[in-house]
Amino acid sequence: MANLNIDSVKARTFDAIVIGSGISGGWAAKELTGHGLKTLVLERGRDVKHVKDYPTTNKFPWEFEHHGQLPAAVTEANPIVSRCYAFGEDSAHFFVKDNEHPYIQEKPFDWIRGYQVGGKSLLWARQTQRWSDFDFEGPARDGFAVDWPIRYKDIAPWYSYVEKFAGIAGNKDGIPELPDGEFLPGYPLNDVEVYFGDHLKKNYKNRHVISARCAHLSKPNQIHIDQGRTQCQNRDLCQRGCPFGGYFSSNASTIPWAERSGNMTLRPHSVVESIIYDEKLGKATGVRIVDTQTKEAIEYYARIIFVNAAAINTNLVLLNSKSSRFPNGFGNDSGVLGKYVAFHNYSAHIGAEYDGLKEWTVDGRSPTGGYIPRFRNVYKQETNFLRGYACGFSGYRYQQHKYDGVGSTLKEGLVKGDLSPWYVGSHMMGETIPKESNHVSLDDKQKDEWGVPLLKISVDYDDNDEKMKKDYIEQLTEMFTSAGFKNINPSTNHQAPGLDIHEMGGARMGKDPKTSILNEWNQVHACKNVFVTDGACMTSTSCQNPSLTYMAITARAADHAVSELKKGNV
Amino acid sequence: MINNLMDRRTVIKNLALVIGGAVLLPSCLRKDGTSYVQLKHITLDADQQSLIADMVETIIPKTDTPGAKELNLQPFVLKMIDDCYGKKDQEAFLAGLGKFNELVKKKYDKSFSDLSTKDREAVLTGIEDSNKPKTGTAPGRRPKPQKNIQADPLVTFCWAVKQQTIFGYTTSQYFMTKLVFYDMVPGRYHVHYPVSKLKLA
Repeated sequence: MANLNIDSVKARTFDAIVIGSGISGGWAAKELTGHGLKTLVLERGRDVKHVKDYPTTNKFPWEFEHHGQLPAAVTEANPIVSRCYAFGEDSAHFFVKDNEHPYIQEKPFDWIRGYQVGGKSLLWARQTQRWSDFDFEGPARDGFAVDWPIRYKDIAPWYSYVEKFAGIAGNKDGIPELPDGEFLPGYPLNDVEVYFGDHLKKNYKNRHVISARCAHLSKPNQIHIDQGRTQCQNRDLCQRGCPFGGYFSSNASTIPWAERSGNMTLRPHSVVESIIYDEKLGKATGVRIVDTQTKEAIEYYARIIFVNAAAINTNLVLLNSKSSRFPNGFGNDSGVLGKYVAFHNYSAHIGAEYDGLKEWTVDGRSPTGGYIPRFRNVYKQETNFLRGYACGFSGYRYQQHKYDGVGSTLKEGLVKGDLSPWYVGSHMMGETIPKESNHVSLDDKQKDEWGVPLLKISVDYDDNDEKMKKDYIEQLTEMFTSAGFKNINPSTNHQAPGLDIHEMGGARMGKDPKTSILNEWNQVHACKNVFVTDGACMTSTSCQNPSLTYMAITARAADHAVSELKKGNV
Repeated sequence: MINNLMDRRTVIKNLALVIGGAVLLPSCLRKDGTSYVQLKHITLDADQQSLIADMVETIIPKTDTPGAKELNLQPFVLKMIDDCYGKKDQEAFLAGLGKFNELVKKKYDKSFSDLSTKDREAVLTGIEDSNKPKTGTAPGRRPKPQKNIQADPLVTFCWAVKQQTIFGYTTSQYFMTKLVFYDMVPGRYHVHYPVSKLKLA
């Protein structure tokens, strides 16, 4: 019996455990296994194998029961996830339904989740803009949150490292606030996007329209072909999973790569209940999981643990990992765990029409669009709000059909039709300021079906967000007007935080253990063999899409973890 | 329900008048002998389903290209209204169906199904013309059929049938392969592309 137990413990012991298989967990898995570490990757959802488990990927519209529309029973039962732009009849199987994992909204928060191997990396918008020192120095310069313990120079080589592997399409734009990277050929801007970019260049100092960098293989290199991926085919059906591996996902890239190393054990259906802390050793020794199919509680052990459960769930795991050393949550000596959660403000949009360039259009589809890097408060504070926003900017035309009448008139109207004028649209992507009051915490009574306390989310906009939104509308209206755009239609909405799917923070990095959870290598200050490298680690939010930064931070932390292991420091 | 039964009786009576002496059809069968669709969320009897089928066929008739029947659009429209409309919208839809029958009966003293093609078209375009919805909105990234729920249930009903007919038609295999080309795998993105080179249907 004793021997059996020893064998069983041995079978449950690895060099490393990675909690989560999404965009950052996949990278942790790839890096750690690549360094020869026997790595257990825990995923709370089911397995999703590249291509094989993309059931809708090659379906034509008429092959869906409702030709792509969701039944009312689905949207009415799932008001939260139904607000997500990517939730449709073709992709619903990759989203968590509202009732599958309840949480408590102390304030409205649309928590969009993907519980499966690959997580939300199957569903993301694939935008990959680097951060710069204008972002990393933001909190220190503008006096909010705490100073980032790293600067651009610390992460720049890791941006390059992950970009080369993931495959990022973009142009060398030479804009200091949006550093250039290791790019595959960029997708071109169309005529009206170029026109607007030229207009900004002529009339403004630091406003640019660039081709948004995106994780698509515009022209694959050998390293991408080695992953079994091929060129993006411009289908624009990415949320179904891509049979070409045209865009980066854990499923198409890092997870199969880790698997091929022979060092990965992937365990789906594994909800992590908590991290095990050994008082005597003064470090974490493993994790407790609940098998979602058998409901069995199991412990796994490892020398290092990477927490990549996705920002909010990483907070949940840490908060629920209580011990006499950490009575208020794992590594929470400072009391800031679960606090300073922030997001991106996507609550404004502006559209217009352009009565020019009528002889030009596009052919085919682009997986990305135009992007206006942040131009507010970059070099100095110049407005009545802190920080700024980036803007999506895209132009499009479409064939205008006539829906009038019935019979042959209608049939003709549905097939024929002239091309519309150019329409342009922009959406705001605003940085928000992390605040102590924006927090997540555990409910002390209610538990989910795995025995984990329900999470309470209390996150809201503030006055800075309102001022920034007003400025976005004013500036874009002015820029559109001076460009000669007509029928300018600004709109704001009251979408709840969370729907941006850029929730960040709660276990922030910082120099001082008294005011932060993680150090400059993403190690828990008070327990150096636990690393947090997903959105939870973010000290501030910048306004760039964060996933690329998670990838780079993860690869950097994994490299550090391996070298610390070798030195015997963890 | 009572209204529906009354309408049904009226329809059968009118039908009897027209075809004179014909044997009344069992209620589980359509006039053409096909059985009607069992719906999950709403109840539509055979006559109501026949009415919708006739409207759908009037909207997308067989011309030199296939019409609704051939493309199996009627069951699709019923399915969409049954599955994709919320309870409130379905209630308005059913109320509008009743009003529609009354309106047709008042004007023609016949059921819609007994009208000539010309009269059927006149009924539908008449309602449409007097209740023009807003047009010209650009389609989003994922175009969705507009449900256009209106204050008047008659308009709700007519638009629901028309919108779902158009949606089913324009996303049908026939339409997307024979009438327009749905380019599922473009494999290209060309900018600065002359409109003159574009192959519009």
